[in-house]
Amino acid sequence: MQPPASAGRVWWQAIGRYVAGALRFGALRLGPLLARIRSPETRRRLLSLMRFVAATLVIWLPLVLALVVGAMLRLSALNALGYNTDEAVYSGQAAAIAQDPALSLVFPIFRAHPLLFQFVLALVYSGGVSDLAGRLVAVAIGLLTVLLAYSLGRLLYGHLAGLLAAGILAVMPYHVIVSRQVLLDGPMAFLATLTLYLVARFATTRRAAWLYAAGGAMGLTFLAKETGIVLVGAVYTFLALQPAVRVRIRDLLIATGTMLLVIAPFPLTLLLAGGGGTERTRQYLIWQLFRRPNHAWDFYAAVVTPSLGLLVVGVAIAGVVLLRRRLGWQDVLLISWIIVPLAFFQLWPVKGFQYLVSIAPPVALLAARALTEFRPGWVKTSFGWAVNVGWLRPLAMAAVLVSVAVPTIGLVSPAASDTFLAGSGGVPGGREAGMWVEANTPAGSRLMTIGPSMANILQFYGHRPASGLSVSPNPLQRNPSYEPLKNPDLLIRNNEVQYVVWDSYSASRTDFFASKLLSYVRRYHGRAVHTETVTIRSASGVDVESPVIVIYEVRP
Amino acid sequence: MILRAFAAFALLFTAVAPGPALAADPPTQTPIKHFMFLLQENHSFDNYFGTYPNADGIPAGTCMPLDPAQPSLGCITSFHLGSQPVSDLLHNRETFVGQYLDGKMDGFVSAHRALGGSNAEQVARLAMGYYDDRDLPYYWNVARQYVLFDRFFSSAAAGSFMNHMYWVTASPGDPNHDSPPVDGFGDDLLTIFDRLESAGISWKFYVQNYDPTINYRTLANAGDKAAQAVFVPLLDFNRFLDNPSLFSHIVDIGQYYTDLQNGTLPTVAYMAPLGSSEHPPGSIQAGERFVQTIINGLTRSEYWNSSAFLWAYDDWGGWFDHVSPPQVDAYGYGFRVPALLVSPYARQGQVNSTTLDYTSVLKFIEDNWGLKPLAARDAAATSIASAFDFTSPPRPPEFLPASRTTDLPAEPNRTVLYIAYAAAIVLALALLLAAGLPPLIARGLARRRARRSAP
Repeated sequence: MQPPASAGRVWWQAIGRYVAGALRFGALRLGPLLARIRSPETRRRLLSLMRFVAATLVIWLPLVLALVVGAMLRLSALNALGYNTDEAVYSGQAAAIAQDPALSLVFPIFRAHPLLFQFVLALVYSGGVSDLAGRLVAVAIGLLTVLLAYSLGRLLYGHLAGLLAAGILAVMPYHVIVSRQVLLDGPMAFLATLTLYLVARFATTRRAAWLYAAGGAMGLTFLAKETGIVLVGAVYTFLALQPAVRVRIRDLLIATGTMLLVIAPFPLTLLLAGGGGTERTRQYLIWQLFRRPNHAWDFYAAVVTPSLGLLVVGVAIAGVVLLRRRLGWQDVLLISWIIVPLAFFQLWPVKGFQYLVSIAPPVALLAARALTEFRPGWVKTSFGWAVNVGWLRPLAMAAVLVSVAVPTIGLVSPAASDTFLAGSGGVPGGREAGMWVEANTPAGSRLMTIGPSMANILQFYGHRPASGLSVSPNPLQRNPSYEPLKNPDLLIRNNEVQYVVWDSYSASRTDFFASKLLSYVRRYHGRAVHTETVTIRSASGVDVESPVIVIYEVRP
Repeated sequence: MILRAFAAFALLFTAVAPGPALAADPPTQTPIKHFMFLLQENHSFDNYFGTYPNADGIPAGTCMPLDPAQPSLGCITSFHLGSQPVSDLLHNRETFVGQYLDGKMDGFVSAHRALGGSNAEQVARLAMGYYDDRDLPYYWNVARQYVLFDRFFSSAAAGSFMNHMYWVTASPGDPNHDSPPVDGFGDDLLTIFDRLESAGISWKFYVQNYDPTINYRTLANAGDKAAQAVFVPLLDFNRFLDNPSLFSHIVDIGQYYTDLQNGTLPTVAYMAPLGSSEHPPGSIQAGERFVQTIINGLTRSEYWNSSAFLWAYDDWGGWFDHVSPPQVDAYGYGFRVPALLVSPYARQGQVNSTTLDYTSVLKFIEDNWGLKPLAARDAAATSIASAFDFTSPPRPPEFLPASRTTDLPAEPNRTVLYIAYAAAIVLALALLLAAGLPPLIARGLARRRARRSAP
């Protein structure tokens, strides 16, 4: 039942000895220098120090490299595009918590989700709100997840598997894209991975304290995003499937208690802080329960699987299948961590690109484990010769890493488009339009957009309230965070809405409301006062300027 | 998708008007390069702002006798009108005299009762009604942000027409009639627009729902729209009707918005409502929207930083007002009317108590653009200049809400949030340390022991 960490340690020490030996007798010719030291004790200590430095370098260098590459991918053109709607909302909430005078007026603190990440972001924003600062916090959390994946891999399968998992996660398109954005899913994935690590620690050592800590980490996972609670099911599934990992009921209850204690701020703040949070959360739950599907049933298979990396997923699955007779508790833990949220979100009618990001570390770990178990040796050819194909192993590892790194490089380069998939990155023109609104519309202006997505972006950058025309007046069919425009005509006639904003992203999703919005432009003396365009490649291969956001002023 | 994009682009280019090409402004004594003056209808100061904080409003305990000669008949206290229906209270010279009562100011109910009729008592009672920010949220918000005048009197102790004449000529027009003369006004009566025209200063007269065929000559066929000849006094002047160049300055209010967009806003503009005048029993909210739309247009235009907009009411409309108007000559003043100034240079939230009338605005225009006075009244008037602060930079434009600003939603308690989430993080970290530290310490101790025991 002991994890093969000892094997890793032997490997670690062997490398250390080899490098130190090389330093001592080889290329650097330090041997004569050491020989001059007369004191055997000093010579022994110096040699020990050199061995430690050399081994540390060799061991940590790949990890540092993974983190550096991961950081480069996450930071590359990080702020080239402004926030998307979700980023705008979470940053707006954080700014409201930090009492930013302008954003406090347009973003209520309590919307749908718990506020752990927004609370942390508010600490950063207390020195001033900046979209770049928000994204840098997200990147930092993403890189911490990479580091955690290494620690978990090392704990479960040894150093090499940990390095490979960290490498895969560092360059994986799915994780890179999500951790470049101010979303709740990145921090949730980090805390979920921390929980996973602590559960693995418990399974390794059987010290109940690790289970209690896992309860606390699970509580934080919930506070980052409430859907993280699904992973409690993964823990119980793991414990149920692995009776060998015995856990006392008392410990399980204490761990559950610590989790509930950490979760407590969510209901407590709703009850005690005021501001209508309780009512909004209740409405939100009702809305989620009756919400209509927003994507096809195969959304995750079609969109998320390629983002995880087809080869990564393939290798992970192949590893589980081929090594099925040797599956240990480590594998069952990871598989539970993948299957439970996958099943939940597949069944849940509402689907989102970033919802499954917590499965990225365990998928990377399973792929890494499969690769480390792949040990090709001598193969007999048809000519009767035996050929050593050991080189296939590093080649396979490199192929997997390259297969995820290459698409990621393409994805992090800002590409102009007049359509948009929620959660997949920034919105071209959104920030610029919002900044135009702030600079060119009087304080007290109110905007009407096609939908709430563009409204959120304009609110964040424009510091003006904006409302989506498509928000349903039926409470069962709208996010309760949004106020419906019950009578847009009357609002314009009463001078309560002075600007109408058309955008191609929302228009591509709803022809009806896009047309409706333009009918107000025509009816109320609409005059285009600002246009944001992007250069896109047409079907004929010609670059054309396409309007993505048009701001009209209207009056009764 | 591409078709839709092109459709939007086409709409964009058909809708975009060229940016303002501002003409050279004539020299001024102040930073105000554009002045707009709107005259709404028929409300007294106390009727609109009688309960406005720190203004000279309805005195506590006000009770208007039903008959000042017979106090025992009782009295009517002032009351909130809200949305109850109102009627057009009589508001002519005779009504003024009956209500003013030689400065005793206690005939506001009795003057209406004296008219008799089946509902005279009800109508008379109405005179003591008032509106407040529940009914006029936008006007009250404007007052909080800019300047509210609480000593602004209608120029004539008479009805609409004579006051409109003071508005443009600083004189009563035809002193014997409070209506357009049968033959119109001749060249002997000058208006502010004659002065502007002579000085080469641009001007326009914007009219809501303007019908160019209606003037004093066509009143017989004007029907409901006859008020246009009263509200737009220039339509009673023969030279403004017969000279196409002068006549072309009188335009529909829609032209105001076009001028704002095209950079052709005149230096001085007068405005008159026809439809949203707030004249009882018309909707005061419709008037609010009309005024708000005019102000919003200016607010978002490039003229904001160099403009001032003032609106007042042409007479008191028969409503109660408690301040006895000074009698500066044979014609006035009449009772106080609401008047508000909107400008980036207007003093913020000021209640201005300078004694003023419509000719005070003429005085400001004349002073600012170096024009001669039109008559004795404007020559002697005090300008509205005290409402401006030209020592400070212009205030940034702002759309004021059309709802009460006191109805803001409750703010959540952030301290509860800070403490709760910080406690959650501390608790989780403590659990982590409790799990992770003991093995680390134990390992450290074991190493030390091993080192000590090593030979």
